[in-house]
Amino acid sequence: MTLVEKKLVQKQREDLLTGCEAVAHAVMLADVDVIAAYPIRPYTEVMDAVSKLIADGKFEAEYIIAEGEHSQFEIVKHASAVGARVFAGSSGTGWMYAMEALAVTASDRLPVVALVGNRALDDPGAFGVEHNDALAVRDLGWLLVWAATAQEALDTTLLLYRIAEDPQVMFPAALAMDGGFLTHSQHMVRIPSKELVNKFLPPYSLGDRRLHPDNPISIAPQANEDWVIEIRKQNAEATKQVPAVVNKAYKEFEEVFNRDLGNPWLEEYMMEDADVTILGMGTLAITAKAAVKRLRKRGLKVGVVRPKWFRPFPTELLKKILSPVGAVAVVDRDFAYGSPFYSGVLYSEIRSTLYGSRNRPTITNFIAGLGGREISIAEVIKMIEATYKAKEEGVDDYVQWVGVRE
Amino acid sequence: MTDEIVFEKIRGIHNVLREEFYSSGHRTCEGCEPAMVMRMFSKAAGPRTIALGTTGCMYVANTAYMTTPWVIPWMHAQLGAGGSSALGTSAGLRALMKKGKIPKEKINTIAFCGDLGGADMGLAAISSALQTDYDLLIILYDNESAANTDIQATGMTTWGAQTTFTPTGSVKRIMQNRWKKNVAPMLAAGHPNVKYIATAIASYPPLDLLNKVRKALSVGGPTFIHTLAPCPKGWDYHPRYSDKLGELAARTGIFPVYEIENGVARLTYKPPTPRVPVREYLEMQGRFAHFKDEDFQYVQSHVDAMWEDWELPGIVPIKDGRIKS
Amino acid sequence: MRMKNSEGKKGGNVLNMERKIVKLTSVSSVFREAASTEVDIKNIEVNYRGVFQKTLARRICKPIVYAAKEEGKTGFGYGRYSDAPERDGVPCKYFAVVADLTEEDLEAEAGGKVEPNDVDVSIVVDDTMTKGVEPWAYSGIRPISEKVKTGGTLLVVSERNPLELLKNVEKKKFPYKIAVVPGMHSFSGLWVYKDDLTDVRVLGALARVDSDIVSLQSIKKVVGEQQGEERVRAVEDGYNSVVIKSIAPGEGIVWPYKLPELPKWHEFQEGIVVKPVKRGGRNEDYKRFTTRTMRPVIRFDKCIKCDRCWYTCPDECFDPTPEGLFDVNYNYCVGCGRCAEVCPVPNTIVMIDELKFDTNESPYQKFKESKDAYTNWAEEKKGKTRVNYPFVTGTGLSVEEAKTKSEEKR
Repeated sequence: MTLVEKKLVQKQREDLLTGCEAVAHAVMLADVDVIAAYPIRPYTEVMDAVSKLIADGKFEAEYIIAEGEHSQFEIVKHASAVGARVFAGSSGTGWMYAMEALAVTASDRLPVVALVGNRALDDPGAFGVEHNDALAVRDLGWLLVWAATAQEALDTTLLLYRIAEDPQVMFPAALAMDGGFLTHSQHMVRIPSKELVNKFLPPYSLGDRRLHPDNPISIAPQANEDWVIEIRKQNAEATKQVPAVVNKAYKEFEEVFNRDLGNPWLEEYMMEDADVTILGMGTLAITAKAAVKRLRKRGLKVGVVRPKWFRPFPTELLKKILSPVGAVAVVDRDFAYGSPFYSGVLYSEIRSTLYGSRNRPTITNFIAGLGGREISIAEVIKMIEATYKAKEEGVDDYVQWVGVRE
Repeated sequence: MTDEIVFEKIRGIHNVLREEFYSSGHRTCEGCEPAMVMRMFSKAAGPRTIALGTTGCMYVANTAYMTTPWVIPWMHAQLGAGGSSALGTSAGLRALMKKGKIPKEKINTIAFCGDLGGADMGLAAISSALQTDYDLLIILYDNESAANTDIQATGMTTWGAQTTFTPTGSVKRIMQNRWKKNVAPMLAAGHPNVKYIATAIASYPPLDLLNKVRKALSVGGPTFIHTLAPCPKGWDYHPRYSDKLGELAARTGIFPVYEIENGVARLTYKPPTPRVPVREYLEMQGRFAHFKDEDFQYVQSHVDAMWEDWELPGIVPIKDGRIKS
Repeated sequence: MRMKNSEGKKGGNVLNMERKIVKLTSVSSVFREAASTEVDIKNIEVNYRGVFQKTLARRICKPIVYAAKEEGKTGFGYGRYSDAPERDGVPCKYFAVVADLTEEDLEAEAGGKVEPNDVDVSIVVDDTMTKGVEPWAYSGIRPISEKVKTGGTLLVVSERNPLELLKNVEKKKFPYKIAVVPGMHSFSGLWVYKDDLTDVRVLGALARVDSDIVSLQSIKKVVGEQQGEERVRAVEDGYNSVVIKSIAPGEGIVWPYKLPELPKWHEFQEGIVVKPVKRGGRNEDYKRFTTRTMRPVIRFDKCIKCDRCWYTCPDECFDPTPEGLFDVNYNYCVGCGRCAEVCPVPNTIVMIDELKFDTNESPYQKFKESKDAYTNWAEEKKGKTRVNYPFVTGTGLSVEEAKTKSEEKR
């Protein structure tokens, strides 16, 4: 690293930011062109922070207050189509209101970056964290990543612009963040300098897909049965290109910002010789670290795996890490009514991942923390204990709802 | 090619630009009037234009993959997203021009919607777009039905008309008992900063729609045009009579033709005195084949009230201009 | 704590299961033979003009299914899904399927299809469709008899005889038949059905053309019971008046239109992006002319250059010429008649039966080559050959197109 670069790295300042504010800073650093805002707890604060940054002249952007989430996401989709870098976001039932626009953004191959402040779906109206909102786009082509810290949120937002806008990718990307626990809690965050971000993030270019009078294309005519499956196949094959770009982008980030981000796809904690793994996304996995640390002290070989990327799903990597383990406790901060084992969403994905393993670990499922309910360290320990027992007794479809008053 | 559209009224068909920016090769009905709307607005706007087409006939019929009839850039938008797609496009262009990422120039942003996108589902987004200061035009091509789904009633359907949701039956003759919304005045009253809102009929008077589009594109800010577009399929008449029906809609006064420019309302077509009886207009259409005398009279009475009782005839349904205390 | 799995019983170790794999090496012929099995199912299609003949097509197909039931067979009907929403005049298809199978077997063999692989009888209710049909963009202009199988029949409602119609029909490698039941194209709108008994006459003709599909007896029974005895006569009339001509292999024309090859998934642009029409051009991949039943013929010598025809055309078919006239691009004209309606000079634009024309060549070019020859040609095309119903409510006169020379001044 050159002296100048070193100085630039040192220029990174630190500030006490909420998860939302951290993302707002990333949006500013990425010099986003068009932002569409609409309020819904708990993601709203990112838009509050962005508007203040604009008002204080920290960056320029067209900031539009939409009249609903559907419009919010149509606005950024079309701004993206003319070549503008965009940002939007929502939570819970608001994300549901936008669903039509979300589906189309993916099939139009437009790199909209969105923050999903995970919130329980209505009804009942409830503000607390639940992952079903972001999970709802998992089949549509959206890139989907869960952040667990404010720092990770800032870093990942910058990474998502880099990855989504890569000519090999061109899919929209959602950054999911636990409502309340991450969106609103304040932590020290390193904010990189604009110069380094400019080094890391190339300009957004749609090439010959840009909508402009100089390039008078027609985007998304009506199709019949002669075309749909081919168009879907194009997108299916394109998603397969994403992992290579992700790996490349994280490497570039580490080089430019001189920081170690760890494995792009997931975080491993005390996994070196683990017998039992506890696995989950978002802040609950950080709580799990405390549980695992205590059990390790008492001689139990346990570890945590926290998947960051949900789409594309890091199947081979998870299979490699989890196959040697005796049992996996999957914690779902979501529900999947009527699913094959009446389990959560993540459980089915892990079970499917491990189907082809020669030595299939026992997999248990714990549905916990819905609607903002805490997941305590003691409860995590109970989950691990139950998993040990399930392995012993050879139960391979154990699903437990945690902390329910009964 | 000039960048700005400096508004100059086109007089005489001979002076209409010959070039097409919406060309042959679209799967529309014989005699389709909404297709005329596409043709006219794109002709009026010229090549430095981006068109957003919401889901509806003018999406599905016009643009069939892997082809297009559009010469200008065009993108599909969702059904209720007429306002938001125009807004996003305009904002994107403005941001990029402000930051010097693309050359500064006047690019027309025009979103078009059918009944549902322009007067029902899409109203919220249109209202929101009209509150901003972005240059954009939203055109509602009103064929009085959800035509692309094979003709259902919408908020724009004339009272009593048959559609697949409002068929005439052995017990109920009239299933469609809603009167058409006044979209243009609703938007004008609700968005005082908007400089231009108008109604038009694509074919009558000739050149009227063309000139209105040009005016809308030249005044700056968000604008809206509601244009009646007779539909041979949904209204059930021989396609050759699309022009005649447009003319009758004007001459009966059932569809008032006017513009509201900077708060001044002006009839751009005055129906004759006496107005042509609406029966002549309705009898040409198979969707009113079940009408009895009382039905024709009912519609006539409504049209009469529009022109005789309203303070702004045909425009705003306030019967007395003074605010009562 | 006792472990309870979701089924309330202990799960076993699933890895012990032995997997039996069928050896595939010597049985591929089994799969091949199974895939190409022929099953005796009768498929009937109705080629019709969208919207105008929507009700008619369904009124033809429904009794076929009922009649099959009468005979102890099973049947069902369906439309070609991507035809919808139908557009005035754009060619559409409706199908009826009949077989001596159980309902379950018939649905398994013939259900869930966009259209049948081939048909025993292809009914055409507007004979101008024999010139070809282009139902969708990028589908190309397709022969009307495309689906007719060996020994099958193209059954056309027409005032012309089979040999006249053969002028437009693609030659086949096998024998088949062209049958004609005399009649005009029967058009209606969505809300008012113009019942001129075409539907039941076609059913009578169908019974004559292929009694293995439905017999005259069962069609008469179904029509009589469901629609009224007075309509049975029309069934018999159709049966008696149909003219059937055997067509030998090689009889007909070489199909002049190239059908597009659909690109592979990796051969076209991602992001659902399509190249635009170039300035001054037209959509090359969707010609429109197979939509029309009639076409406008222009007396350029009488044209006063008011521009109204050019102005009113929703399909942008008129090309301005240097002297202020307008050429018609017949590749894109859909025959809506708006130009004829707005032209202020009587009998200067006249709508004429499409079957009277052999090419889509430029009329203006012809006019330039020889004004007199063109004008005579245009006049010779006129005549009372088709009827239009202008107001489908039943009020107003039926318009007779194309008044002859003697009725106008030169």
